[in-house]
Amino acid sequence: MPFRPLEKPLAECRVALITTAAPYQPGKGDQGPGAPYNAAAKFYTVYSGDTAVDNDLRISHVGIDRVHTSAEDSNTWFPLPQLRRCAAKGRIGEITPRFHGAPTNRSHRTTIERDCPELLARCRADGADAAILVAN
Amino acid sequence: MCHQTVSLAARHLEENGIATIVMGCAKDIVEYCGVPRLLFSDFPLGNAAGRPKDPPSQAFTLELALRVLESVPAPRTTVQSPLRWSTDPSWKLDYSNIERLSPEEIQRRRQEFDRQKEIAKTVRDAPRAAN
Repeated sequence: MPFRPLEKPLAECRVALITTAAPYQPGKGDQGPGAPYNAAAKFYTVYSGDTAVDNDLRISHVGIDRVHTSAEDSNTWFPLPQLRRCAAKGRIGEITPRFHGAPTNRSHRTTIERDCPELLARCRADGADAAILVAN
Repeated sequence: MCHQTVSLAARHLEENGIATIVMGCAKDIVEYCGVPRLLFSDFPLGNAAGRPKDPPSQAFTLELALRVLESVPAPRTTVQSPLRWSTDPSWKLDYSNIERLSPEEIQRRRQEFDRQKEIAKTVRDAPRAAN
């Protein structure tokens, strides 16, 4: 089991955010609150977005609990605004300039051989010391 | 799939020098994969970062994740958030529970699953846009 303790205080760390949520895609069916499972909104390669701006990410393409949650508040699955507040008050050093989207490929091999190395390369390029990964 | 994907990604990042914290609502999947650090919220899937429309819960959840990230002494550490979704725990029995579905509903879900799988295949096989 790999284990990498932080080598410096979080207040000095650059932190990446990784999500399985997808950017809203107009014309790809219902992705709003209460949407049924929507495979048309899926993505299959790693993507990145700007952490300095607000992003409209949705979770209609994954197997969330549709009986007990309606996916109407993106802060429950994509805590970028809250992470920005942590950076502003010095709890973390800073956020990496990009967040990254991890595709939920139904293939171990694709995830391990293609997507994980791509996520690592992007985190490294951004100088990340640590990463927060939020599952859906 | 989400929990499995982020678990595999966390392991890969950690192997290569980047410390990770997984925030999730499916403890079984993440612990089966095995990750260095998991903050588990016993909430319906889709709420790993806190309760909807409840900013204090979201702030608390992220702060707890940061504390786990900076403080755990060894891998395979799961910390469970003390927050509760509801005082009535019966919601936990509903997710994909075949015992609670009628034969008609099971049939409908099968058909819908197959239909969505075909759509997904179309998306996956489409020429990929650079991003």
